[in-house]
Amino acid sequence: MPLSPAARGRLGFLALAGVYGGLVLACVATLAAAGDLSLGRHPWHNLLKTLADFSQPSFLDVWFGPTRLEYRGDGGALLRVENRREVEATFLWALARASWTTFQIATLGSLLAALLALPLALLAARNLHAPRALAGVARAVLDMARAVHTLVFGLVLVGIVGLGPTAGILAIALHSMGSYGKLFAESIESLDRAAIDAVRATGASPAQVFFNAVWPSVLPQFVGNHLYVWEFNIRDSTILGLVGAGGLGLLVSEAVSLFQWSRLATVLLVIVALVVGFDALSRRIREALR
Amino acid sequence: MPAVRITGLVVEVAGRVLLQLPRLQIEAGERVAIVGANGAGKSTLLRVLGGFMHPARGQVEVLGRRLDTLDRAAWRRLRCETGQVLQGLHLVPRLTARENVMIGALARPGLPAWRSWARCFPPALVAEADAALDALGLAAMRHLRADRLSGGERQKVGLARLQLQRPRLVLADEPTAALDPAATAQACAALRRSAAGATLLTVVHQPSLLPLLADRVLGLDAGRLVFDRPLAAVNAALLDALYTFTCARPAPPGAPGAPRVTGLSDGREHGTWEPGPAAARPATG
Repeated sequence: MPLSPAARGRLGFLALAGVYGGLVLACVATLAAAGDLSLGRHPWHNLLKTLADFSQPSFLDVWFGPTRLEYRGDGGALLRVENRREVEATFLWALARASWTTFQIATLGSLLAALLALPLALLAARNLHAPRALAGVARAVLDMARAVHTLVFGLVLVGIVGLGPTAGILAIALHSMGSYGKLFAESIESLDRAAIDAVRATGASPAQVFFNAVWPSVLPQFVGNHLYVWEFNIRDSTILGLVGAGGLGLLVSEAVSLFQWSRLATVLLVIVALVVGFDALSRRIREALR
Repeated sequence: MPAVRITGLVVEVAGRVLLQLPRLQIEAGERVAIVGANGAGKSTLLRVLGGFMHPARGQVEVLGRRLDTLDRAAWRRLRCETGQVLQGLHLVPRLTARENVMIGALARPGLPAWRSWARCFPPALVAEADAALDALGLAAMRHLRADRLSGGERQKVGLARLQLQRPRLVLADEPTAALDPAATAQACAALRRSAAGATLLTVVHQPSLLPLLADRVLGLDAGRLVFDRPLAAVNAALLDALYTFTCARPAPPGAPGAPRVTGLSDGREHGTWEPGPAAARPATG
C-alpha cells in the first residue's frame, strides 16, 4: 500500500529517533561493560567536602583571614608565619592582572580573527560568486579553523611562539576566524538583493551603491557578529591558560595542582562575573543594533 | 526620438519564453498602461527596459540608446534618466524614509561624491525630499526606518524617491498595489507629477486607474501583445476577456462555457486556448 507523504514523514522521524536511541544505548552499554560508569568510592562524601571547600573562597581572607597563621612541623617547631590577609591581597592583585590578560587575549584575538575572516567570508559568500576554486578553498579553511578547538591551537602555538598571551591571541584568532567567516558570509548572503538593485536603478555609481545600500545593511550585522564572537572568546580565553597561553586559566591550573580549592573558587567567581557581565553588555548592544 | 523602440524581442528564462514582442514603439511623452493577467509578461517587459533582465533575441532601444551596446557608465547614465518603481524593488531596510528618498538624487550631476557616500546631503536636497514625502502624507515618517514602515508607506516612499530622480522615462509596476483608495489617488498624483513631461509606462490592474495614468493601453497575454489601443477604444469587455480567459478552467473544446474572446486586435482564436497547469506559467507577472 503506498504511504501518504505525511505518513512517510512520520515513519522517517520514528526511524531517526530509533537510530538516536540506539546510539545512546550503545554508549551507555559499552561504558557499563568496561566498568567505567562508577562514581568512585565516596561520591557523597567527596561532594560535601568539595562544596565545603568552595564555600570559603579565598578572597574572604583578605578581610577575615588570620593576620598571623603559623605553619609548624611535626615536632611543633615553627616553620613559617604568614599574614593571610596580605597573601590573599597579593593573590587578588595577581588575579586582576590575569583577568586583564584574559581580556586582552579575547579582545585582540577577536579583532585579529575578524580581520583574517573578512576576505575569506567575501570569497565564501555564495551570492558574491567568487571563482569556484577560491570559494572552495576559503570554505575549507574556515571549516578547518572551526573544527579545531581553541585549546588545541593553543597547545600547538605555545610550542611555536612560546608561553604567554601571544600564543593565546593567535589561538583565539585562528579558531574564531572560522566562526567569523561563517557569520560574515551569512550576513553577506542575507543582503537584500532587491534593495541593492533599487539603488542601482537610480543610476548610482558602484561606490554610491556600496555606501547607500550595502554598508548600512551589513555594518550592524558585522558589529553584532563581532560582539557575539568577542563575548564567546572572553569565555574561551579563561581556559587558555591551562595550556600555558596566559590569563586566568594559568591561575586555575595552579590552584588545581596545589589543591587550593578556596583559591579556585575565587578564580571561578571572577570568571563567572567577567563572562556574565560581558554577555549582558554585549547582548544589550546587539539588541540596540537590531 | 521614441522613448522605447522594440524589434523582434524574445525573453527566455531557462528555455521558457516569457515575452515575445515583434514590434513596439512608445513615443516620448506618451503615457502607456500595460494590462494582463499574472504571468503575462508585464513585469518582464519593464525589467528588460530597466536593464534587470536581458533579452535572448531582438533589439531594444530606450531613450535613443540600444541596450545591447551600453557599457557600465552608459547604463548608469540611462538608469539615471529612467525612474523605476518595480515590484520587489525595495527600499534599503535600515535607512530612514528620508534617506531612502535621497537615494533618488544620488546620480544627479553636481552632487559631491563624498556627500553621497557619507549620506550627508545638502539642505536644499533634504528639503526637496521632505517636500516629496509631505506630498504623499508621510511627513511624520521621515525619520522612521524603512523596515518599520507598512507596505503601503514603503510604496509611497518609493514614489517619493522617483520624484527626486526627475526621470525622462518612468517604469512603474503596479505602483498602487498595496495602497488603499485614498492612498491610491495620492500615489497616482505623485506618479503623474514625477512623470510630467516624461514618458510613463505603468502596469495597472485596476481599470479605474487607466484614465489617470494612460492614454494608450497594451494588453499582454502569455508573453504576447494581444491588443494595443488608445484608451478611448478600451472597454470593460476587452479587459474582462483578457483577465478571465487565462483564469478559466480548461473545458472540452466546443463545450458550452468554454471561454471565447472576441474583439482582440490580432484576431487570434482564443476560445480553444487552454491554459497549462499553474506551475508552468511564468512566475513574473
